[in-house]
Amino acid sequence: MAVKTRRLRDIPLAFTMLGPSLLVLLTFVLYPLGKAVWLGQQTCNVQGKNCKSVGWGQYTTVVKSDQFQHALWVTVKFALITVPIGLALGVGLAVLADKQLRGMRFFRTIFSSTIATSVAVASLMWLFLLQPSVGVLANLGWLRDIFPVIKEPGLLKDPGTALWSVGISSIWANLGFTFILVTAGLQSVPKEMHESAYVDGAGGWMRFTNITLPLISPTLLFTTVVLTSRAFQAYGEMDLLTNGGPVPQDSTTTVTYLIYGSSSIIKNNDGLQAAVAVLLFLILLALSALQFRGFGKRVHYGS
Amino acid sequence: MKTPNKSRFLLAGLTASALLFASCGGGESSSIIDSGSTEAPATGDSSAPTAAPTTVATPLASLPPCDTTALDAVTETVNITFWHGMNGDLEDSLKALTDEYNSSQTKVKVSLENQGGYEQTLDKYLQSSQNSRPEMVQAPEYAVQVMGDTDSSVPVGACIESAAYDTSDFLPKALNQYFTEGVQWSMPFNVSDPVLYYNKKVFEAAGLDPNKPPTNMAELRTMSQAIVDSGAAGYGLSLDTGADSGGGWFLEQWFAKLGELFSDNDNGRAAPSTKVNFDSQVGIDLLTELQTLVNDGLAYNVGDNASGQDALLKLADPDKAAAMTIATSAALGTVLTTVQGGLIPGITTDDIGVGPMPAPGDADAPGAIVGGASLWIVNHDDPAKTAAVWDFISFLITAESQSMWAAATGYVPVRSSALEVGAIAEKYKTDPRFKVAYDQLLQVADTPASLGAILGPQREIRTLSARAIATVLQGGDVAAALTDAATQANALLSAYIAANQ
Repeated sequence: MAVKTRRLRDIPLAFTMLGPSLLVLLTFVLYPLGKAVWLGQQTCNVQGKNCKSVGWGQYTTVVKSDQFQHALWVTVKFALITVPIGLALGVGLAVLADKQLRGMRFFRTIFSSTIATSVAVASLMWLFLLQPSVGVLANLGWLRDIFPVIKEPGLLKDPGTALWSVGISSIWANLGFTFILVTAGLQSVPKEMHESAYVDGAGGWMRFTNITLPLISPTLLFTTVVLTSRAFQAYGEMDLLTNGGPVPQDSTTTVTYLIYGSSSIIKNNDGLQAAVAVLLFLILLALSALQFRGFGKRVHYGS
Repeated sequence: MKTPNKSRFLLAGLTASALLFASCGGGESSSIIDSGSTEAPATGDSSAPTAAPTTVATPLASLPPCDTTALDAVTETVNITFWHGMNGDLEDSLKALTDEYNSSQTKVKVSLENQGGYEQTLDKYLQSSQNSRPEMVQAPEYAVQVMGDTDSSVPVGACIESAAYDTSDFLPKALNQYFTEGVQWSMPFNVSDPVLYYNKKVFEAAGLDPNKPPTNMAELRTMSQAIVDSGAAGYGLSLDTGADSGGGWFLEQWFAKLGELFSDNDNGRAAPSTKVNFDSQVGIDLLTELQTLVNDGLAYNVGDNASGQDALLKLADPDKAAAMTIATSAALGTVLTTVQGGLIPGITTDDIGVGPMPAPGDADAPGAIVGGASLWIVNHDDPAKTAAVWDFISFLITAESQSMWAAATGYVPVRSSALEVGAIAEKYKTDPRFKVAYDQLLQVADTPASLGAILGPQREIRTLSARAIATVLQGGDVAAALTDAATQANALLSAYIAANQ
């Protein structure tokens, strides 16, 4: 009883302390979110005004539409391409650079340099390298002999290779981010454990799988979740490299591109855009929960 | 990690599986844009009466007023912001003009704000509230209906009337592009149209007259055959399917050249269009012609044109180049600068030829519709601001300004008196390539058909026709691709009318 009254007495104080952040959250997160959910069942005029409710069925229509299903499938493929490869490359480079050798700082700087490259810069660079008529890569004789597609029709213009090419550009651009996170994770691995395992006769691979990986697993989980949500929200690459194309296959029209892309047919329909965005939010929410739940058990957070 | 809340996890799992199930669960295919038209009249039933309003004229008196003398009384400098979408060389020239205006007088100060491009400018404008909109905005040619429907501008027609401004030497086509419902909504500023770029050296090597480019597709076919057979180049023509070029804008151009309406209600100029006509026999013939050119190895399809220059760059391909392509005249300045910089081995500026856009089939159909963008006065219920914007606009369209602007960029001057002064007078004399785009606009009398269509969701419809053309150039069935695109375009038109009337 006494505990309960004390708790009740704490409520005004709690609200005073939490008030500022609550206010910020309500104004900038919850209110816009609620507004987007509501907008998702409306249609509006060109200015986004005079919105009329057309019913929650609009969400069902979107979910059932070819465009949304196709975009969702492309997005899933994009995540399946970029997340595992990006993570593996990031961990590989970080482990290689995690040695006390002369000149290692130089390599660390190079490996992490892509974090300072914006998506736009990275994409434009790839665009010019891959441009099929005059691009440098497209006109390398030996490369063309191995991959004729790089010249005709061009990696970004072939429905079969466009998503992979955008994916590679995205992996490259995100590599610095993964590298830095994993390097930080590696530095928290106690050297003594490696030394004692070494004395016990464990080889390099064994030490990596039995000591390093478990100890950096929290970092890996975090990186996976962030990379996945980045993959689901990737936009700049598609906008600059492919415009969601090639059409009519729409090989790189992801969900975000469907919402906002310059060649999206719903780009001036606020209601449909909001509906797709809310659905993307729900999918990401569910996916992150699944990731934390699924990998969470295997993650070692120390004792 | 603590055991996560079971029910929360269950909820997440259920949501994910429900969405995936709904997505993957078969059912008939449906399009996302059908949902936008739930309140609109049923589409696909051509016998249904059109729901569009039949009114034509919006009297000027019912729109925000313009008093051009309001600037006379101001004592403090009026600051105006101008959102534009000009980049690179074009932006430099616009800056030069604006600096000249700002230093020429003290009553008005213009600040330029680059929004990144036409698309971005228009999107940002539409999504802003009236208070956060600038005093002046540059909107692309496909946005006339949308901009008019925002009820956010002072029509320049009101200012023309108030100032008794003389427009008699303006290109009628340029003004008419921005004239609907009896109102001159905006002022043409940067006018362009598509022209044929070709490599004169290749023409010579193929035994063709380098000063006689093809004027229609039949001639283009014969010449391409000669070019390919002689081995002078890999292809005759390079084509793209971008919405702003070969996939959308050019299709409208070809309909206008043939004097065919692109959409009903007089191309949307008598009343909002309810259906498009590109699935007609005219459209089928046109696309079949392009498809045959590609199938026969005479034309090369560069695809979506994501970089904006893919079709032009095919002319510089070291391996199997194309001899010709169709692109906007606004690219001419940049093309010549690039070639002059020596970036493209084996081609000099003198090798670049420019001709009129070829007409479909064997038609003798010169002429073009106006591309580019126009200037809009945004209504802030402040007569001084409106008058200040008008003052700046009237500076940008003087013969001198237009002459400088056209000579620097390749855009077409909006008035004929510009041809007698300054840089463009000299340029048109010494380099007739710059004049091709101008001459094209004078060739045909202005009718609703030759002026081209004004559509609400014009940009989205170009995306749809671009998709159809891409399908066709990859070997798809012409009639089916066009019917599919037209059905979706008509659904967009109905939805637009329902939401904006």
